[in-house]
Amino acid sequence: MTDFIQLLVAGISIGSIYAMTAIGFVLLWQTSNTINFAQGEFVVLPAFAMVLFLTVFRWPFAAALLATVLVSTLLLGFLVKEVLVARLLEAGVLPLVIATIGLSLLIRYSLQYFWTPLALPFPPVFSRVPIRLGTIVLSWEELMNVLLVGIVIGALQLFITRTKLGWAMQAVAQNRTLATVLGIDVSRLVTLTFVLNAALAAVAAILIAPVYLVKYDIGIGLGLKAFYAAIIGGFNQIRGALLGGLLVGVVETLAAAYLSSQFRDAFALVILIAVLLLKPEGIWGVKEEWSS
Amino acid sequence: MALLEVHDIHAGYGKMEILKGVSLRVETGQVVSIIGPNGAGKSTVFKTLFGLLPVRQGHVRFAGEDVTNEPPAALLGRGLAYVPQGRNVFPLMTVEENLRLGAYIRPRSAELDREVERVYDTFPMLREARRKRAADLSGGQQQMLEMGRALLLRPRLMLLDEPTLGLAPRVFREIFRIIEDLRRLGQTILMVEQNAAKALEISDYAYVLELGLNRFEGSGEAIRNDERIRRLYLGR
Ligand SMILES: Nc1ncnc2c1ncn2[C@@H]1O[C@H](COP(=O)(O)OP(=O)(O)OP(=O)(O)O)[C@@H](O)[C@H]1O
Ligand SMILES: [Mg+2]
Repeated sequence: MTDFIQLLVAGISIGSIYAMTAIGFVLLWQTSNTINFAQGEFVVLPAFAMVLFLTVFRWPFAAALLATVLVSTLLLGFLVKEVLVARLLEAGVLPLVIATIGLSLLIRYSLQYFWTPLALPFPPVFSRVPIRLGTIVLSWEELMNVLLVGIVIGALQLFITRTKLGWAMQAVAQNRTLATVLGIDVSRLVTLTFVLNAALAAVAAILIAPVYLVKYDIGIGLGLKAFYAAIIGGFNQIRGALLGGLLVGVVETLAAAYLSSQFRDAFALVILIAVLLLKPEGIWGVKEEWSS
Repeated sequence: MALLEVHDIHAGYGKMEILKGVSLRVETGQVVSIIGPNGAGKSTVFKTLFGLLPVRQGHVRFAGEDVTNEPPAALLGRGLAYVPQGRNVFPLMTVEENLRLGAYIRPRSAELDREVERVYDTFPMLREARRKRAADLSGGQQQMLEMGRALLLRPRLMLLDEPTLGLAPRVFREIFRIIEDLRRLGQTILMVEQNAAKALEISDYAYVLELGLNRFEGSGEAIRNDERIRRLYLGR
Protein backbone atom coordinates (compact mmCIF):
# COMPACT_ATOMS: atom_id res chain seq x y z
CA MET A 1 0.00 0.00 0.00
CA THR A 2 2.81 2.37 0.92
CA ASP A 3 4.51 1.53 -2.34
CA PHE A 4 1.36 2.09 -4.24
CA ILE A 5 0.80 5.58 -2.84
CA GLN A 6 4.37 6.58 -3.49
CA LEU A 7 4.17 5.33 -7.04
CA LEU A 8 0.84 7.04 -7.51
CA VAL A 9 2.29 10.38 -6.46
CA ALA A 10 5.31 9.86 -8.68
CA GLY A 11 2.97 9.02 -11.56
CA ILE A 12 0.82 12.08 -11.00
CA SER A 13 3.95 14.19 -10.82
CA ILE A 14 5.37 13.04 -14.15
CA GLY A 15 1.86 12.93 -15.60
CA SER A 16 1.25 16.56 -14.73
CA ILE A 17 4.27 17.50 -16.81
CA TYR A 18 2.99 15.39 -19.71
CA ALA A 19 -0.36 17.10 -19.25
CA MET A 20 1.11 20.57 -19.48
CA THR A 21 2.94 19.62 -22.66
CA ALA A 22 -0.21 18.05 -24.05
CA ILE A 23 -2.33 21.11 -23.29
CA GLY A 24 -0.02 23.35 -25.28
CA PHE A 25 -0.18 20.84 -28.07
CA VAL A 26 -3.98 20.87 -28.03
CA LEU A 27 -4.12 24.68 -27.94
CA LEU A 28 -1.95 24.84 -31.05
CA TRP A 29 -4.15 22.36 -32.82
CA GLN A 30 -7.31 24.19 -31.87
CA THR A 31 -6.38 27.71 -32.86
CA SER A 32 -4.01 27.10 -35.73
CA ASN A 33 -4.59 23.53 -36.93
CA THR A 34 -0.94 22.84 -36.23
CA ILE A 35 -0.18 19.28 -35.17
CA ASN A 36 3.14 20.08 -33.61
CA PHE A 37 5.41 17.09 -33.98
CA ALA A 38 8.19 19.23 -32.55
CA GLN A 39 6.41 19.54 -29.20
CA GLY A 40 9.02 17.35 -27.49
CA GLU A 41 11.84 19.50 -28.84
CA PHE A 42 9.88 22.57 -27.73
CA VAL A 43 10.55 21.25 -24.21
CA VAL A 44 14.14 20.15 -24.86
CA LEU A 45 15.31 23.49 -26.24
CA PRO A 46 14.35 25.50 -23.13
CA ALA A 47 15.89 22.74 -20.97
CA PHE A 48 19.20 23.32 -22.74
CA ALA A 49 18.70 27.08 -22.43
CA MET A 50 18.22 26.62 -18.71
CA VAL A 51 21.44 24.60 -18.47
CA LEU A 52 23.23 27.35 -20.38
CA PHE A 53 22.04 30.15 -18.12
CA LEU A 54 22.29 28.23 -14.89
CA THR A 55 25.46 26.16 -15.13
CA VAL A 56 27.46 27.81 -17.91
CA PHE A 57 26.67 31.48 -17.25
CA ARG A 58 26.08 30.79 -13.55
CA TRP A 59 23.13 33.13 -13.35
CA PRO A 60 20.89 33.00 -10.28
CA PHE A 61 17.95 30.65 -10.62
CA ALA A 62 15.26 33.32 -11.04
CA ALA A 63 17.19 35.15 -13.74
CA ALA A 64 17.87 31.90 -15.58
CA LEU A 65 14.22 30.95 -15.38
CA LEU A 66 13.09 34.30 -16.74
CA ALA A 67 15.65 34.20 -19.54
CA THR A 68 14.59 30.67 -20.45
CA VAL A 69 10.92 31.59 -20.70
CA LEU A 70 11.89 34.65 -22.75
CA VAL A 71 14.10 32.68 -25.17
CA SER A 72 11.43 30.02 -25.50
CA THR A 73 8.57 32.42 -26.22
CA LEU A 74 10.66 34.41 -28.69
CA LEU A 75 12.11 31.48 -30.63
CA LEU A 76 9.40 28.84 -30.33
CA GLY A 77 6.55 31.32 -30.03
CA PHE A 78 7.00 34.37 -32.24
CA LEU A 79 9.66 33.14 -34.62
CA VAL A 80 8.08 29.77 -35.41
CA LYS A 81 4.70 31.42 -35.88
CA GLU A 82 5.97 34.17 -38.16
CA VAL A 83 8.44 32.12 -40.20
CA LEU A 84 6.68 28.77 -40.51
CA VAL A 85 3.06 28.92 -39.52
CA ALA A 86 2.06 32.27 -40.97
CA ARG A 87 3.20 31.10 -44.39
CA LEU A 88 1.90 27.55 -44.30
CA LEU A 89 -1.41 27.95 -42.50
CA GLU A 90 -3.26 28.72 -45.73
CA ALA A 91 -1.98 25.54 -47.35
CA GLY A 92 -3.80 23.24 -44.92
CA VAL A 93 -2.79 20.75 -42.25
CA LEU A 94 -0.26 18.55 -44.03
CA PRO A 95 2.46 21.06 -45.01
CA LEU A 96 2.50 22.29 -41.43
CA VAL A 97 2.80 18.76 -40.06
CA ILE A 98 5.78 18.14 -42.30
CA ALA A 99 7.30 21.48 -41.35
CA THR A 100 7.05 20.64 -37.64
CA ILE A 101 8.66 17.25 -38.23
CA GLY A 102 11.49 19.09 -39.98
CA LEU A 103 11.72 21.55 -37.13
CA SER A 104 11.95 18.77 -34.56
CA LEU A 105 14.84 17.15 -36.43
CA LEU A 106 16.56 20.50 -36.82
CA ILE A 107 16.37 21.29 -33.11
CA ARG A 108 17.24 17.77 -31.97
CA TYR A 109 20.31 17.24 -34.12
CA SER A 110 21.54 20.82 -33.87
CA LEU A 111 21.69 20.36 -30.11
CA GLN A 112 23.51 17.06 -30.54
CA TYR A 113 25.98 18.38 -33.11
CA PHE A 114 26.67 21.89 -31.87
CA TRP A 115 26.36 21.26 -28.16
CA THR A 116 26.67 17.72 -26.89
CA PRO A 117 25.45 14.20 -27.54
CA LEU A 118 25.79 13.51 -23.80
CA ALA A 119 23.27 13.84 -21.03
CA LEU A 120 23.81 16.99 -19.01
CA PRO A 121 23.03 16.89 -15.32
CA PHE A 122 20.53 19.43 -14.15
CA PRO A 123 20.75 20.90 -10.67
CA PRO A 124 17.74 19.98 -8.55
CA VAL A 125 15.22 22.78 -8.41
CA PHE A 126 13.70 21.72 -5.12
CA SER A 127 15.13 20.36 -1.89
CA ARG A 128 16.17 16.70 -2.06
CA VAL A 129 15.29 16.12 1.57
CA PRO A 130 12.50 13.52 1.55
CA ILE A 131 9.15 14.14 3.19
CA ARG A 132 8.01 11.37 5.51
CA LEU A 133 4.34 10.82 6.24
CA GLY A 134 4.38 7.76 8.47
CA THR A 135 5.86 5.06 6.27
CA ILE A 136 5.25 6.95 3.05
CA VAL A 137 8.23 8.78 1.60
CA LEU A 138 7.60 11.54 -0.93
CA SER A 139 9.90 14.09 -2.51
CA TRP A 140 9.53 17.85 -2.65
CA GLU A 141 10.15 17.60 -6.35
CA GLU A 142 7.07 15.46 -6.90
CA LEU A 143 4.81 17.61 -4.79
CA MET A 144 6.07 20.89 -6.19
CA ASN A 145 5.70 19.62 -9.76
CA VAL A 146 2.06 18.89 -9.15
CA LEU A 147 1.51 22.18 -7.36
CA LEU A 148 3.25 24.29 -10.00
CA VAL A 149 1.53 22.56 -12.89
CA GLY A 150 -1.76 23.02 -11.05
CA ILE A 151 -1.16 26.74 -10.71
CA VAL A 152 -0.09 27.15 -14.34
CA ILE A 153 -3.06 25.19 -15.70
CA GLY A 154 -5.45 26.98 -13.34
CA ALA A 155 -4.17 30.35 -14.52
CA LEU A 156 -4.45 29.26 -18.13
CA GLN A 157 -7.99 28.05 -17.58
CA LEU A 158 -8.93 31.38 -15.99
CA PHE A 159 -7.39 33.25 -18.87
CA ILE A 160 -9.28 31.20 -21.44
CA THR A 161 -12.66 31.32 -19.75
CA ARG A 162 -12.63 34.71 -18.03
CA THR A 163 -10.92 37.16 -20.36
CA LYS A 164 -12.06 38.58 -23.65
CA LEU A 165 -8.86 37.45 -25.32
CA GLY A 166 -9.41 33.93 -23.97
CA TRP A 167 -12.92 33.92 -25.38
CA ALA A 168 -11.54 35.05 -28.70
CA MET A 169 -9.12 32.13 -28.58
CA GLN A 170 -11.97 29.68 -28.05
CA ALA A 171 -13.87 31.36 -30.85
CA VAL A 172 -10.99 30.89 -33.28
CA ALA A 173 -10.71 27.26 -32.18
CA GLN A 174 -14.38 26.57 -32.84
CA ASN A 175 -14.94 28.47 -36.06
CA ARG A 176 -12.08 30.36 -37.62
CA THR A 177 -14.04 31.94 -40.47
CA LEU A 178 -16.78 33.18 -38.18
CA ALA A 179 -14.16 34.62 -35.82
CA THR A 180 -12.80 36.67 -38.72
CA VAL A 181 -16.29 37.79 -39.69
CA LEU A 182 -16.83 39.08 -36.15
CA GLY A 183 -13.67 41.17 -36.26
CA ILE A 184 -11.39 38.89 -34.23
CA ASP A 185 -7.76 39.19 -35.30
CA VAL A 186 -7.12 35.51 -35.95
CA SER A 187 -3.46 35.90 -36.82
CA ARG A 188 -2.76 37.71 -33.54
CA LEU A 189 -4.49 34.95 -31.60
CA VAL A 190 -2.46 32.29 -33.35
CA THR A 191 0.67 34.17 -32.28
CA LEU A 192 -0.65 34.35 -28.74
CA THR A 193 -1.26 30.61 -28.73
CA PHE A 194 2.26 29.87 -29.91
CA VAL A 195 3.64 32.13 -27.22
CA LEU A 196 1.50 30.46 -24.56
CA ASN A 197 2.58 27.03 -25.75
CA ALA A 198 6.23 28.06 -25.68
CA ALA A 199 5.80 29.33 -22.12
CA LEU A 200 4.13 26.08 -21.04
CA ALA A 201 6.95 24.14 -22.69
CA ALA A 202 9.56 26.18 -20.85
CA VAL A 203 7.92 25.45 -17.49
CA ALA A 204 7.64 21.76 -18.42
CA ALA A 205 11.34 21.81 -19.35
CA ILE A 206 12.42 23.11 -15.97
CA LEU A 207 10.30 20.56 -14.14
CA ILE A 208 11.26 17.57 -16.23
CA ALA A 209 14.99 18.29 -16.56
CA PRO A 210 15.90 17.06 -13.06
CA VAL A 211 13.93 13.84 -13.68
CA TYR A 212 15.21 12.91 -17.14
CA LEU A 213 18.55 14.74 -17.34
CA VAL A 214 19.02 17.04 -20.29
CA LYS A 215 19.81 15.19 -23.49
CA TYR A 216 19.19 16.13 -27.09
CA ASP A 217 16.87 13.19 -27.74
CA ILE A 218 14.55 13.15 -24.72
CA GLY A 219 12.04 15.11 -26.78
CA ILE A 220 11.17 12.03 -28.83
CA GLY A 221 9.51 10.20 -25.98
CA LEU A 222 8.13 13.33 -24.39
CA GLY A 223 6.56 14.60 -27.59
CA LEU A 224 4.99 11.21 -28.25
CA LYS A 225 3.53 11.03 -24.75
CA ALA A 226 2.05 14.50 -25.06
CA PHE A 227 0.57 13.41 -28.38
CA TYR A 228 -0.87 10.22 -26.84
CA ALA A 229 -2.20 12.19 -23.87
CA ALA A 230 -3.97 14.62 -26.19
CA ILE A 231 -5.58 11.80 -28.17
CA ILE A 232 -6.51 9.80 -25.09
CA GLY A 233 -8.23 12.76 -23.45
CA GLY A 234 -9.87 14.05 -26.60
CA PHE A 235 -7.86 16.20 -28.95
CA ASN A 236 -10.06 19.24 -28.68
CA GLN A 237 -10.36 19.72 -24.96
CA ILE A 238 -7.97 21.17 -22.42
CA ARG A 239 -9.38 19.09 -19.60
CA GLY A 240 -9.05 16.07 -21.87
CA ALA A 241 -5.33 16.69 -22.31
CA LEU A 242 -5.01 17.12 -18.55
CA LEU A 243 -6.73 13.82 -17.89
CA GLY A 244 -4.78 12.09 -20.66
CA GLY A 245 -1.45 13.35 -19.34
CA LEU A 246 -2.17 12.23 -15.78
CA LEU A 247 -3.41 8.88 -16.99
CA VAL A 248 -0.30 8.23 -19.04
CA GLY A 249 1.96 9.27 -16.15
CA VAL A 250 0.20 7.15 -13.54
CA VAL A 251 -0.26 4.06 -15.68
CA GLU A 252 3.30 3.99 -16.95
CA THR A 253 4.73 4.48 -13.46
CA LEU A 254 2.57 1.79 -11.88
CA ALA A 255 3.06 -0.60 -14.75
CA ALA A 256 6.81 -0.08 -14.75
CA ALA A 257 6.92 -1.00 -11.06
CA TYR A 258 4.46 -3.89 -11.02
CA LEU A 259 4.66 -5.31 -14.53
CA SER A 260 7.82 -4.51 -16.39
CA SER A 261 10.12 -1.53 -16.28
CA GLN A 262 11.58 -2.49 -19.64
CA PHE A 263 8.31 -1.70 -21.34
CA ARG A 264 7.67 1.48 -19.42
CA ASP A 265 7.25 3.54 -22.58
CA ALA A 266 4.91 1.05 -24.19
CA PHE A 267 2.11 1.42 -21.68
CA ALA A 268 1.07 4.84 -22.93
CA LEU A 269 0.61 3.20 -26.29
CA VAL A 270 -1.51 0.45 -24.76
CA ILE A 271 -3.89 2.99 -23.23
CA LEU A 272 -3.94 4.90 -26.49
CA ILE A 273 -4.98 1.83 -28.46
CA ALA A 274 -7.58 0.89 -25.86
CA VAL A 275 -9.12 4.37 -26.00
CA LEU A 276 -9.06 4.47 -29.78
CA LEU A 277 -10.89 1.16 -29.90
CA LEU A 278 -13.49 2.02 -27.27
CA LYS A 279 -14.01 5.74 -27.79
CA PRO A 280 -12.20 7.05 -30.86
CA GLU A 281 -12.95 10.72 -30.12
CA GLY A 282 -11.08 10.44 -26.80
CA ILE A 283 -12.39 10.18 -23.27
CA TRP A 284 -13.64 13.75 -23.19
CA GLY A 285 -13.53 14.50 -26.85
CA VAL A 286 -16.31 15.86 -28.99
CA LYS A 287 -16.81 14.43 -32.44
CA GLU A 288 -15.62 16.98 -34.93
CA GLU A 289 -18.55 16.73 -37.30
CA TRP A 290 -19.09 20.40 -36.56
CA SER A 291 -15.91 21.93 -37.86
CA SER A 292 -16.90 24.09 -40.80
CA MET B 1 -25.61 59.70 -51.48
CA ALA B 2 -25.95 55.95 -51.36
CA LEU B 3 -24.99 54.13 -48.17
CA LEU B 4 -23.27 51.38 -50.15
CA GLU B 5 -21.92 51.80 -53.62
CA VAL B 6 -20.24 48.92 -55.36
CA HIS B 7 -18.68 49.90 -58.63
CA ASP B 8 -17.64 47.32 -61.20
CA ILE B 9 -15.89 44.92 -58.82
CA HIS B 10 -13.88 41.94 -59.97
CA ALA B 11 -12.94 39.17 -57.57
CA GLY B 12 -12.51 35.41 -57.33
CA TYR B 13 -10.64 32.49 -55.84
CA GLY B 14 -7.04 31.85 -56.86
CA LYS B 15 -6.75 32.08 -60.63
CA MET B 16 -10.48 31.82 -61.07
CA GLU B 17 -12.30 35.09 -61.59
CA ILE B 18 -15.90 34.77 -60.42
CA LEU B 19 -17.09 38.38 -60.32
CA LYS B 20 -16.44 40.04 -63.64
CA GLY B 21 -17.78 43.49 -62.94
CA VAL B 22 -20.63 43.76 -60.45
CA SER B 23 -22.21 47.07 -59.46
CA LEU B 24 -24.77 47.73 -56.74
CA ARG B 25 -26.25 50.60 -54.78
CA VAL B 26 -28.06 50.52 -51.47
CA GLU B 27 -29.70 53.63 -50.02
CA THR B 28 -30.21 54.09 -46.29
CA GLY B 29 -33.46 52.50 -45.15
CA GLN B 30 -33.81 50.23 -48.17
CA VAL B 31 -34.08 46.48 -48.39
CA VAL B 32 -32.21 45.40 -51.51
CA SER B 33 -32.08 41.84 -52.86
CA ILE B 34 -29.60 40.08 -55.06
CA ILE B 35 -31.07 37.15 -56.94
CA GLY B 36 -29.63 34.77 -59.47
CA PRO B 37 -29.03 31.08 -60.14
CA ASN B 38 -26.76 28.88 -58.05
CA GLY B 39 -23.13 29.73 -58.60
CA ALA B 40 -23.91 33.19 -60.00
CA GLY B 41 -21.51 34.68 -57.47
CA LYS B 42 -23.99 36.13 -54.97
CA SER B 43 -22.13 34.90 -51.90
CA THR B 44 -18.88 35.92 -53.53
CA VAL B 45 -20.19 39.48 -53.74
CA PHE B 46 -20.75 39.48 -50.00
CA LYS B 47 -17.39 37.95 -49.20
CA THR B 48 -15.69 40.54 -51.38
CA LEU B 49 -17.66 43.45 -49.92
CA PHE B 50 -16.80 42.30 -46.45
CA GLY B 51 -13.07 42.08 -47.05
CA LEU B 52 -12.78 38.29 -47.00
CA LEU B 53 -11.72 38.21 -50.65
CA PRO B 54 -9.58 40.87 -52.33
CA VAL B 55 -11.18 43.29 -54.77
CA ARG B 56 -9.06 42.94 -57.90
CA GLN B 57 -10.60 45.79 -59.79
CA GLY B 58 -13.32 48.34 -59.10
CA HIS B 59 -14.18 49.91 -55.77
CA VAL B 60 -16.52 49.82 -52.80
CA ARG B 61 -17.77 52.96 -51.07
CA PHE B 62 -19.56 52.88 -47.74
CA ALA B 63 -21.19 56.00 -46.28
CA GLY B 64 -19.29 58.15 -48.73
CA GLU B 65 -15.86 56.71 -48.00
CA ASP B 66 -13.73 54.39 -50.06
CA VAL B 67 -13.54 51.09 -48.16
CA THR B 68 -12.17 48.91 -50.94
CA ASN B 69 -10.15 46.02 -49.48
CA GLU B 70 -10.58 47.08 -45.88
CA PRO B 71 -10.40 44.09 -43.51
CA PRO B 72 -13.58 42.81 -41.80
CA ALA B 73 -12.69 44.34 -38.42
CA ALA B 74 -12.52 47.82 -39.96
CA LEU B 75 -15.79 47.36 -41.84
CA LEU B 76 -17.52 46.16 -38.69
CA GLY B 77 -16.33 49.35 -37.03
CA ARG B 78 -17.96 51.34 -39.81
CA GLY B 79 -21.29 49.65 -39.27
CA LEU B 80 -21.33 46.78 -41.74
CA ALA B 81 -22.51 43.43 -40.37
CA TYR B 82 -22.46 40.16 -42.27
CA VAL B 83 -24.45 36.98 -41.73
CA PRO B 84 -22.79 34.41 -44.01
CA GLN B 85 -24.56 31.64 -45.87
CA GLY B 86 -24.87 28.35 -44.01
CA ARG B 87 -24.80 27.72 -40.31
CA ASN B 88 -22.20 29.87 -38.62
CA VAL B 89 -22.07 29.57 -34.87
CA PHE B 90 -19.53 28.64 -32.20
CA PRO B 91 -20.90 25.15 -31.59
CA LEU B 92 -19.59 24.53 -28.08
CA MET B 93 -20.58 27.92 -26.71
CA THR B 94 -23.98 28.79 -25.34
CA VAL B 95 -26.45 31.01 -27.14
CA GLU B 96 -25.64 33.88 -24.83
CA GLU B 97 -21.89 33.47 -25.33
CA ASN B 98 -22.39 33.37 -29.08
CA LEU B 99 -24.38 36.59 -28.96
CA ARG B 100 -21.76 38.34 -26.88
CA LEU B 101 -18.99 37.26 -29.20
CA GLY B 102 -21.02 38.88 -31.97
CA ALA B 103 -20.37 42.16 -30.22
CA TYR B 104 -16.65 41.37 -29.88
CA ILE B 105 -15.58 44.74 -31.29
CA ARG B 106 -17.78 46.62 -28.81
CA PRO B 107 -16.58 47.15 -25.25
CA ARG B 108 -18.62 45.56 -22.47
CA SER B 109 -21.22 47.98 -21.16
CA ALA B 110 -24.61 48.19 -19.50
CA GLU B 111 -25.94 49.35 -22.84
CA LEU B 112 -24.76 46.15 -24.48
CA ASP B 113 -26.53 44.14 -21.77
CA ARG B 114 -29.77 45.97 -22.57
CA GLU B 115 -29.31 45.29 -26.25
CA VAL B 116 -28.78 41.60 -25.57
CA GLU B 117 -32.13 41.70 -23.77
CA ARG B 118 -33.66 43.45 -26.76
CA VAL B 119 -32.38 40.71 -29.05
CA TYR B 120 -34.12 38.20 -26.77
CA ASP B 121 -37.30 40.28 -27.10
CA THR B 122 -37.02 40.05 -30.86
CA PHE B 123 -36.27 36.33 -30.73
CA PRO B 124 -38.04 34.86 -27.67
CA MET B 125 -36.93 31.39 -28.80
CA LEU B 126 -33.36 32.43 -28.10
CA ARG B 127 -34.15 33.58 -24.59
CA GLU B 128 -35.48 30.13 -23.75
CA ALA B 129 -32.36 28.57 -25.21
CA ARG B 130 -29.85 31.04 -23.83
CA ARG B 131 -27.96 28.44 -21.79
CA LYS B 132 -28.02 25.79 -24.50
CA ARG B 133 -24.99 25.02 -26.61
CA ALA B 134 -25.36 26.43 -30.11
CA ALA B 135 -24.67 22.98 -31.55
CA ASP B 136 -27.90 21.75 -29.96
CA LEU B 137 -30.11 24.37 -31.62
CA SER B 138 -32.37 23.68 -34.56
CA GLY B 139 -31.49 25.20 -37.92
CA GLY B 140 -34.06 27.97 -37.46
CA GLN B 141 -32.82 28.82 -33.99
CA GLN B 142 -29.29 29.00 -35.28
CA GLN B 143 -30.33 31.37 -38.02
CA MET B 144 -32.05 33.56 -35.47
CA LEU B 145 -28.95 33.48 -33.32
CA GLU B 146 -26.93 34.66 -36.28
CA MET B 147 -29.29 37.51 -37.03
CA GLY B 148 -29.46 38.53 -33.37
CA ARG B 149 -25.69 38.48 -33.23
CA ALA B 150 -25.49 40.85 -36.19
CA LEU B 151 -28.09 43.18 -34.66
CA LEU B 152 -25.92 43.60 -31.57
CA LEU B 153 -23.53 45.56 -33.76
CA ARG B 154 -26.28 48.10 -34.46
CA PRO B 155 -25.27 47.89 -38.11
CA ARG B 156 -25.95 50.65 -40.60
CA LEU B 157 -26.12 47.90 -43.20
CA MET B 158 -26.80 44.22 -42.67
CA LEU B 159 -25.65 41.68 -45.26
CA LEU B 160 -27.87 38.59 -45.09
CA ASP B 161 -26.85 35.61 -47.20
CA GLU B 162 -29.63 33.04 -47.63
CA PRO B 163 -31.23 33.44 -44.20
CA THR B 164 -33.89 30.78 -44.81
CA LEU B 165 -31.90 28.11 -46.62
CA GLY B 166 -33.11 24.67 -45.63
CA LEU B 167 -35.64 25.83 -43.05
CA ALA B 168 -39.12 24.43 -42.46
CA PRO B 169 -42.02 26.58 -43.76
CA ARG B 170 -43.06 27.73 -40.30
CA VAL B 171 -39.54 28.95 -39.45
CA PHE B 172 -39.24 30.44 -42.91
CA ARG B 173 -42.30 32.63 -42.26
CA GLU B 174 -40.96 33.59 -38.85
CA ILE B 175 -37.64 34.74 -40.30
CA PHE B 176 -39.39 36.77 -42.96
CA ARG B 177 -41.66 38.35 -40.39
CA ILE B 178 -38.55 39.46 -38.50
CA ILE B 179 -36.90 40.84 -41.63
CA GLU B 180 -40.06 42.83 -42.33
CA ASP B 181 -40.10 44.12 -38.75
CA LEU B 182 -36.47 45.19 -39.08
CA ARG B 183 -37.31 46.93 -42.29
CA ARG B 184 -40.15 48.84 -40.65
CA LEU B 185 -37.72 49.92 -37.94
CA GLY B 186 -35.54 51.40 -40.66
CA GLN B 187 -32.83 48.73 -40.79
CA THR B 188 -30.99 48.81 -44.11
CA ILE B 189 -30.53 45.31 -45.51
CA LEU B 190 -28.80 43.83 -48.52
CA MET B 191 -29.79 40.21 -48.88
CA VAL B 192 -29.57 37.09 -50.97
CA GLU B 193 -32.53 34.76 -50.67
CA GLN B 194 -33.26 31.47 -52.40
CA ASN B 195 -36.97 32.19 -52.29
CA ALA B 196 -36.62 35.07 -54.74
CA ALA B 197 -40.35 35.70 -55.13
CA LYS B 198 -40.78 36.22 -51.41
CA ALA B 199 -37.64 38.36 -51.14
CA LEU B 200 -38.75 40.60 -54.00
CA GLU B 201 -42.07 41.20 -52.24
CA ILE B 202 -40.32 43.02 -49.44
CA SER B 203 -37.48 44.56 -51.48
CA ASP B 204 -37.28 48.19 -52.52
CA TYR B 205 -34.82 47.31 -55.22
CA ALA B 206 -33.27 44.18 -56.67
CA TYR B 207 -30.36 43.05 -58.81
CA VAL B 208 -30.25 39.93 -60.90
CA LEU B 209 -26.78 38.43 -61.16
CA GLU B 210 -25.66 35.84 -63.65
CA LEU B 211 -22.18 34.37 -64.12
CA GLY B 212 -20.62 37.14 -62.09
CA LEU B 213 -22.25 39.96 -64.04
CA ASN B 214 -25.20 42.28 -63.51
CA ARG B 215 -28.03 41.01 -65.68
CA PHE B 216 -31.13 43.00 -64.71
CA GLU B 217 -32.07 45.47 -62.04
CA GLY B 218 -35.14 47.37 -60.95
CA SER B 219 -37.63 47.88 -58.17
CA GLY B 220 -38.68 44.73 -56.33
CA GLU B 221 -42.03 44.87 -57.97
CA ALA B 222 -40.74 45.48 -61.49
CA ILE B 223 -38.37 42.53 -61.23
CA ARG B 224 -41.09 40.34 -59.76
CA ASN B 225 -43.41 41.13 -62.65
CA ASP B 226 -40.81 40.92 -65.39
CA GLU B 227 -41.80 38.09 -67.70
CA ARG B 228 -38.23 36.98 -68.57
CA ILE B 229 -37.16 36.93 -64.93
CA ARG B 230 -40.25 35.00 -63.92
CA ARG B 231 -39.45 32.35 -66.43
CA LEU B 232 -35.72 32.23 -65.70
CA TYR B 233 -35.46 32.59 -61.96
CA LEU B 234 -38.80 32.49 -60.27
CA GLY B 235 -39.77 29.17 -61.78
CA ARG B 236 -43.22 30.24 -62.86
N1 LIG C 1 -13.96 28.91 -51.71
C1 LIG C 1 -14.11 28.78 -53.02
N2 LIG C 1 -13.07 28.38 -53.78
C2 LIG C 1 -13.20 28.24 -55.12
N3 LIG C 1 -14.32 28.48 -55.79
C3 LIG C 1 -15.40 28.88 -55.11
C4 LIG C 1 -15.35 29.04 -53.68
N4 LIG C 1 -16.57 29.45 -53.27
C5 LIG C 1 -17.33 29.53 -54.37
N5 LIG C 1 -16.65 29.20 -55.47
C6 LIG C 1 -17.15 29.20 -56.86
O1 LIG C 1 -17.55 30.51 -57.18
C7 LIG C 1 -18.74 30.49 -57.93
C8 LIG C 1 -19.77 31.39 -57.26
O2 LIG C 1 -20.04 30.89 -55.97
P1 LIG C 1 -21.02 31.63 -54.97
O3 LIG C 1 -20.99 30.88 -53.72
O4 LIG C 1 -20.68 33.07 -54.94
O5 LIG C 1 -22.40 31.44 -55.69
P2 LIG C 1 -23.86 31.81 -55.19
O6 LIG C 1 -24.44 32.68 -56.22
O7 LIG C 1 -23.82 32.30 -53.81
O8 LIG C 1 -24.55 30.40 -55.27
P3 LIG C 1 -25.50 29.62 -54.24
O9 LIG C 1 -26.90 29.96 -54.64
O10 LIG C 1 -25.19 28.20 -54.51
O11 LIG C 1 -25.16 30.07 -52.86
C9 LIG C 1 -19.18 29.04 -58.02
O12 LIG C 1 -18.80 28.57 -59.28
C10 LIG C 1 -18.40 28.35 -56.97
O13 LIG C 1 -18.08 27.04 -57.35
MG1 LIG D 1 -24.44 31.68 -52.03
